[in-house]
Amino acid sequence: MSRLKIDGAVALVTGAGRGLGFAIAGHLQGLGAKVVVCDRDREALSQLPSGLQGLPLDVTQLDQAKLVAGDIVAQHGRIDILVNNAGVIYSEPMVNIMNPAGIMHDYGRFRDALTANLDSVFIMTSAVVEQMVTKRTKGVIVNISSISAYGNEGQTAYAAAKAAVNAMTVTWAKELGRWGIRCNAVAPGFIGTESTRRALSDSILKHIESNTPLRRLGTAGEVAQAVASVIENDFINGAVLDVNGGLTI
Amino acid sequence: MNKRVAAILADVFRLRAGDVHPGLKKEDVGGWDSLTQMDLVMSVEREFDIELAIGDIVRLVSVADIIAVLKEKGVSLED
Repeated sequence: MSRLKIDGAVALVTGAGRGLGFAIAGHLQGLGAKVVVCDRDREALSQLPSGLQGLPLDVTQLDQAKLVAGDIVAQHGRIDILVNNAGVIYSEPMVNIMNPAGIMHDYGRFRDALTANLDSVFIMTSAVVEQMVTKRTKGVIVNISSISAYGNEGQTAYAAAKAAVNAMTVTWAKELGRWGIRCNAVAPGFIGTESTRRALSDSILKHIESNTPLRRLGTAGEVAQAVASVIENDFINGAVLDVNGGLTI
Repeated sequence: MNKRVAAILADVFRLRAGDVHPGLKKEDVGGWDSLTQMDLVMSVEREFDIELAIGDIVRLVSVADIIAVLKEKGVSLED
């Protein structure tokens, strides 16, 4: 049984122009992968360090995803690794009694959050697995989930999307294993990234730190290490790996 | 009927050995769907140490087709 080595592998990381995705892309590159960074933020792509190839992509658009996957295969011959990192942390309570525009969670924004965090994973996986199957590539898909998948107050849509991502991970692990394609998820807890600090107040972050057995937030590098681990271990399939300092135990 | 091919079909589709015959086709087997098709492919690849292209995979819909593809791959099917 051949083992997927990151060194020399072709990896596609979505939403990797900055933050967690950028850290994952850099880590895989450091391990020897040819990394293609996709992001809809063209400015972020223009600032990528040399060695990381940037391609503009809106992961909610299937036609774009198929074009990008095809272009990567045309250029590099195959895609070995897909990291579905792109997403948007979205918080809105089910009831906000103080909102004069309407006290209930807006349905349009609920759908938008699902599109950004759930549809995007389906779309990218569909586009890349088509290439893997056609080329008989025994590749790996890593979905970036979240601790919110357990349910998190104030995050109806985001939590639902991430729970669904976990369910798709297991489903694809079962279905695609026949093709030699593995699928796993990495579920970060609270990581000290820019997007986390934007989404949560300092007092909430302090509260989270004090409730975490390790008494700190995680780092993007620690999540990237977890991603590399589930890629390299050829018998990990269908796993959702929590990376949260023990917050959920 | 090649014994190795017959054993694969019996195993993948949970058939009795006596139910596998040279004329067997996909339509004759209730559980022969898109998922078990890949189980069949994996078993054929492992048993004969070959790798099949997509074009070959979609052709594997009967015993005759399996034998034909294996022959094209240069596999010796003498029992």
